Parts: sequence; structure tokens; C-alpha cells
Amino acid sequence: MADGDRIVIVGAGVAGLRAAERLREQKFDGEIVLIGDEARRPYHRPMVSKALVMGTERPSDVGLSHYLPDLDVHWRLGARVTHLDTTERVVHLPGGESLWYDGLIAATGVYPRHLPGAPRHDPRVRILRTVEDSMAVRRCLNASKKPAVVIGAGLIGNEFAASMRHIGRDVTLIGHAKAPLHRFGDRVSSGIVEEHHEHRANLAMRSEVRHWISTKDTVGLHLTNNQLLVASVVVLAIGSVPSVDWMRGSGLDIKDGVLCDSKLFAEGASDVVIAGDIARWPNLRFDDTPRRVEHWINAVESARHAADNLLMGQSSAIPFTPLPRAWSTLYDTRLQMCGMPSLAEDTVTLADGITGFVKDGRLIGVSCWNKPRAMLDWMFELDRRLPAPDYVPEPEPAPVAEVPEVPTVDPAAIAALAADVPAEFDSGFDHQAFEREFESEFANDIPTTAFPAQAMPAPPTTAFAAQPGAALPTMAIPMGR
Amino acid sequence: MPFRLPGGGPRISVDNDRCELYGICAMEAPDVFDLGQDGRLRFHTRLLDETTIEQAKMAARCCPMQAVVMRGDLDG
Repeated sequence: MADGDRIVIVGAGVAGLRAAERLREQKFDGEIVLIGDEARRPYHRPMVSKALVMGTERPSDVGLSHYLPDLDVHWRLGARVTHLDTTERVVHLPGGESLWYDGLIAATGVYPRHLPGAPRHDPRVRILRTVEDSMAVRRCLNASKKPAVVIGAGLIGNEFAASMRHIGRDVTLIGHAKAPLHRFGDRVSSGIVEEHHEHRANLAMRSEVRHWISTKDTVGLHLTNNQLLVASVVVLAIGSVPSVDWMRGSGLDIKDGVLCDSKLFAEGASDVVIAGDIARWPNLRFDDTPRRVEHWINAVESARHAADNLLMGQSSAIPFTPLPRAWSTLYDTRLQMCGMPSLAEDTVTLADGITGFVKDGRLIGVSCWNKPRAMLDWMFELDRRLPAPDYVPEPEPAPVAEVPEVPTVDPAAIAALAADVPAEFDSGFDHQAFEREFESEFANDIPTTAFPAQAMPAPPTTAFAAQPGAALPTMAIPMGR
Repeated sequence: MPFRLPGGGPRISVDNDRCELYGICAMEAPDVFDLGQDGRLRFHTRLLDETTIEQAKMAARCCPMQAVVMRGDLDG
């Protein structure tokens, strides 16, 4: 990008804000237009299913800060981009407006998935994505004393159930999996079942909704396990779909998010980078399969990286190879995850509350049940064992004229050379034995139960962490300098 | 030379009502934050050099609870 260029950022969530901030940090002095379909400036979306729906934070308090004297961005809030034209380099807005760009950062995130059969026209059947969604759920809760119901046993479903119990509302969590959060490993999954029981949240696992009954004041649900629930509000939290409709017809691959190269450039466009949940890129730290990562910290990191790469240009850009990190709080338990547990073939207990995820004998992910101090060590350990590959920039293709002519070699001469090699030279080295030895050495590196080689410090079993249900030590202590 | 109050410059604080001690800040800014073995978070309130300021900004950006508050002249 050159001086005076215009960079358009589509999506005013955390990724859009962090991309704009990074552009200014890198001294980009052109115009930045930040377009968002919500009428609000970027805010901390993870609070929608927690503090906002509980009413412990006000919408005006959850805005995201930037750390610059002046962001100098043209805001276009409450505007939804309708179409992208990558040849003309234009985004279209409602009312026939078109906005040209020199560089585009797409960060439109995901939208909650629709549950077929759910009567979304009923005002008590809601999703949780925006501040307004959380306010609508609160209005439903205030209008009726009936229990809340959440469908979906992922992070948002579990967080919402915990939030409801926290404000003293009865709640039932419906999921079709055998246990909530089963992809985080058995330790986390059994832990969360226990927590829900202890806090008297109802679980209806391995079940679905058979019939919906909308009445004037409530929603009735008839489940496949023959339970009948009467709810004040039903929240749909069965995952999400990328918001990429506006790129239809642009020539970009939008089958599942936007297909990118390892540097977050959209395939087929050298001036479009993708950030946040919609980027489907190969994380070379793991392998070369393009995947999406729907985690909040990844939105921060990918947005900054995408902004850097857009300024550098595709040829000198650097691959994005993060170690994905995620967190959640369920009741008073902190849940953390890093790496790519979803790729694992096997799990292993690394320490009390710490689960390792293993693929091909390599540790590729760690999840943690309320052990943040130990998790910190394990994240560094995972980073050490699974380092980001060294990036060697692709060499400039040499001009054809400079290619030296390959001298022709007489095949007979080569055969004569080969015959000169003594026979024992070949047999002195047992390749198979070497490989066996190498593999067994490598296999010893697999985390099994103990870690003799890289013994980690014992996890801190503080009085706080050791007692289930005890209040978290939420006191941070400033140190003077 | 801009006018500065004695003891000015960037400072950080942590909102104890929000902080849930995930330790993400200690990962982003190991020179500023420390999550101790006792599970307590300790941190330096004054940021002295460019590196710690940049680290602290990254910690504030990545904080899951958005509990890190930065004040003062962030340009160092």
C-alpha cells in the first residue's frame, strides 16, 4: 500500500478494530473505512453470553479500547456490504453506493446457525450474537418466571446455562451429543456435567426437539426423550455459519469461510486479506490443510497479521502460524484450550486437570480445567514442541537467460564412478536400524503419563483451586517500580 | 518537548471485578505480568521502556475479560 491509498475493512468486530489499529501502528497514512452492520462501535462480544445476559455489565461498558493516540478511521456503522467486486476493487453498499478500495480486509465473522424447525418468528426463540440479542433475552426472562432453555452443548450453550443459574433462573440444556463439550476431552466433559449437576442446571443430552408449541406467553418443547419443557426463552446455540454472503459472485472461494493462502490473502485476489472467524487458511505450524479457527484471541492475532501482510504485499508477506488459544468460564471454573485439539486421535492426562491431545505421536493441543498457572507452562511447552516453521521467502524466479547451461555428462563415466565405490561403503550403514532407533526415540517424546525429559513444575494446588466451588482468587496485586 | 507531570508516562492497572486470572497477560507480557504459583497476578504499574509498553498493549488487547486498563501517554 502506498500513501493516499484507501483500505476498506468490512466487519467492525474485534478483528476489524484490531486490523485498523495495526494499520495505523505501522504508519499507514491513507484512508481507512471501517464498515459494520451493527450500529455500535466494536465491543467485547464474549460478554454477550455471560455478563451482558446476566445484567452484570451494561452495554455502554463493554466497548473495546484501542491503544493509539488517534485511530483516524471513517466509521460506517449500521451499513451492510451487499456485494464485492474484486476486479473493479469496489464494495457495494445499500442505496446503490459503491466504495473503491486499494486494499480490503474482510472480517465479517460468523452468524449463529439456524436450527431447522425452530420457530424464529416467535419472539421468545432467540440467538445470542449481539448486545441487542442479549437485551432481548433479558426482556423474555423478565416477562416470565418460566425456566430458560438452551439448545446446543458447545461453549455458548454451556456459558448461557451457567449464566442462568448464576442469576437464579432454572435452565435446561439440550444437546444431541453424549456429553457437553466432549471435544475438549473427557476430563473437561465430565467436569462440566458435574458442575451443572451441582448447580442444578438440567441436562437433556442425546435429545432433540420433536415438536415446538408456541403459546401467547411461553414456548413449549416436546423432546425426543419425551420430556415436555415450558420455557420463557429458548436460545439457539448450535454453532455458527460464516457471514460471507456478500462475497458471493466475487470469484473468491466461500464454501466454508474464505479460502486463503498461508499468509491470509484470499485465493485469487492479491489485495484482499481475511481476518478472524471467516479465514480458512493453512496453519503451517500444524499442516497445510486450510481450516477456520473460531476463537476470540485468534481474531485479534489474525487481524494484526493480516494488516501487516496487506501493507507488505503478497510477495513479501509472512505466513500466519499462531498457536490458537481459547477460554471460557463455567460457573467458577476456568476452562482453557490451546493448539488444535480437534485434530487429535488420542488424549492423555498430562497433569491434574491438564489434558494433552496427541496426533501421530505429537502433542498438538492442551486443555485445562481450572489450572491457569499450569496451563501457562503447558502453553509454552506446546509452543516449544510444536514450533512455527522457519519461513524461507520464495526466491525470485531467475530470468531464463541467466540459467547456466547444464554440462552434458557421459553416462558411461557415471557408471564407472559408481563401480569404484567400495562394497562395504554401502553395507556399513543399516538404514532400517537407524530409522527404527530414530522412531523409537521420537516415540519416547510422546507425552504419556510422566515427562522425565521435560518435567514441568508441579501445578499449583492453591487453596483456591483445590476446593471445588470455592471463590476464585480475583485479586490482582500491583507492584510498584 | 511535551509537558509531562513528574511520574507521568504510561501506567497500567487491572480491574479486579473483571479479572478472572486466566494468565493470558502473563503469556503476552511476561516482563509486566506474573501469575504466581499461589494463583495471584502481580504486575508492574509503571512501564519504563518501549518493549514493555508494546507487551502490555498486547496483553490488554488479548485479555479475555478486557480487564487490563492502560493510562497515560501510550507512545512512550
